[in-house]
Amino acid sequence: MERTPTGDRRRRRQVLGGIGAVGITALAGCLEGSGMPAGSTDEEVDDDDAADVNDGPPTVERSIPEAYSIDRLNEESMSGGPGPDGIPSIDDPRFTAADDPPANLDGGDPVFGVEFDGEAKAYPQYILVWHEIVNDVVGDESVAVTYCPLTGTAQGFYRGASEFGVSGRLINSNLVMFDRGTDSWWPQMLPVGISGPHEGAYLEEFQVIWTTWDRWRDQYPETTVLTEETGHARDYGSDPYGEYNPPSGYYDNERTLFPPLASDDRFPRKEVVIGARNADGAMAVPKDALRERTVIEGTVDGTPYATVYDEALDTGYVYRNPDDTSVEPDGDTFLVDGETHAPDALPLDREIGFDAMWFAWYGYYPSTEVHE
Amino acid sequence: MDTRLAGKLRPRSRIAETAAATRLVLRRNDSVAVAGLVLVGYLTAFLWAVGDLSVRPDMPAGLLIVDDPLWRVFDRTGPATFEAIAIVDTGVARLLFSPGNLLLGGFVAGLVGLNLAMSYLAVVQPAACGLGTGSGLLASMPALLAGTVCCGPVVLLVLGIQASGLLLTMFTWLLPLGIGLLFVSLIYVAGKIDVSGSAHG
Repeated sequence: MERTPTGDRRRRRQVLGGIGAVGITALAGCLEGSGMPAGSTDEEVDDDDAADVNDGPPTVERSIPEAYSIDRLNEESMSGGPGPDGIPSIDDPRFTAADDPPANLDGGDPVFGVEFDGEAKAYPQYILVWHEIVNDVVGDESVAVTYCPLTGTAQGFYRGASEFGVSGRLINSNLVMFDRGTDSWWPQMLPVGISGPHEGAYLEEFQVIWTTWDRWRDQYPETTVLTEETGHARDYGSDPYGEYNPPSGYYDNERTLFPPLASDDRFPRKEVVIGARNADGAMAVPKDALRERTVIEGTVDGTPYATVYDEALDTGYVYRNPDDTSVEPDGDTFLVDGETHAPDALPLDREIGFDAMWFAWYGYYPSTEVHE
Repeated sequence: MDTRLAGKLRPRSRIAETAAATRLVLRRNDSVAVAGLVLVGYLTAFLWAVGDLSVRPDMPAGLLIVDDPLWRVFDRTGPATFEAIAIVDTGVARLLFSPGNLLLGGFVAGLVGLNLAMSYLAVVQPAACGLGTGSGLLASMPALLAGTVCCGPVVLLVLGIQASGLLLTMFTWLLPLGIGLLFVSLIYVAGKIDVSGSAHG
């Protein structure tokens, strides 16, 4: 099947009705958000302006901990069962308004929220568990929202004119993506090219927030939400691995499909940590501890960091705090040097952080500092 | 083939026996019933195991067909699983209609059904005395091998087994191995049936 950068526009036919009552309905189109993505980091070296699909995604200069050589990562790559595109990405996503969400979306279900200059979109976990990647366009930016069920990681990447697909391979139980422009392969969590023309290069990330549908909708009433009109026949509403609402199955037990690259028993394997990494090193904050204490401070290679809790979205934000500025909780806000700030807008450098299962984070970043 | 080995295996004779036993299975109502029940049961379990069949009373009856269904029939979702091109909701059950999975599952289910129907005949119409129900059990192992492979490594999560490179390599061979063993079992059991016996009505 030939794919285009903007996705092949697929129509779907739906025949609805009970026994003896049949109708044909063309499914509705999407409501696209607009706005420029914000909050990305690092210096872009491969701009996507006038980019060709064959260029692959834009890459950036980054310095983050590399515990394993590229050769080792390739050796650790294992088949998860499906081949390339056996788990099909969503290339023509359709959205609906917040007051008309998909019928299977419960208020307590996890969604992955993306907010770009006031425009908000939600990607339900129960849909992404079948696809793992959504190649979307937001405003002028082409982005990919990605999710790996086995490591519990939702991350966003700029994709330029290219698209990402699911390779079917896993490293450290984590999704390995490929870009259709250059066929370079990219482990999601790292996210460095491990083969192809972009070997050794890093993808440019943006913040994705793991929250619940109720919480996201309350904070962003104008949000749109991804629908089940994905162009693929899947049993949406059932999850092959377990459930998050409430947690059960794979998401709530100690089993992993593959042995982690490195192990540490400080926390249960599936304990959710908020992980961040940059030139200073890698750090992890257990989400339960953050919920309890609302501010957690620590250092990475001697540099102070502060992670603050956002109760409204049940998420955390990681800030580099080199001057060791005082950060104190003040209700739903935080006092920084006596000034009140929202948790996502402290006057410090915010790092991209994302939820991850402890075993996966430690497996990739065994040098990680733990702040709790 | 070595003459002595060929003489021992009697390949032509074995094929003729198997064909005759198959015809006998199809002539008798009781053995057809056994084969049919096993086929339907195995196919149902197979489709449930690959995720194509589920109980979904919460979904209203309906039919959804993806775009360009014919072009997507042969898209693979795993080493031995294929893309669904339609969702059929009955109000009770949901079927992801994947012609590839249905054909593959139906083929394996047919082989299992034939095996067990022959095992049934071997008991009620044995060529020699002393045949037990062990031949039916013989067919169940390759049936399981052929069935579990379609779930891919995810089945390891259910079993609580961590995957290794060797185990994953084995997975890709389980389906052909299972089908091969089903044929071997079929030929073995066919030789235990008295095909000259009278057919039941």
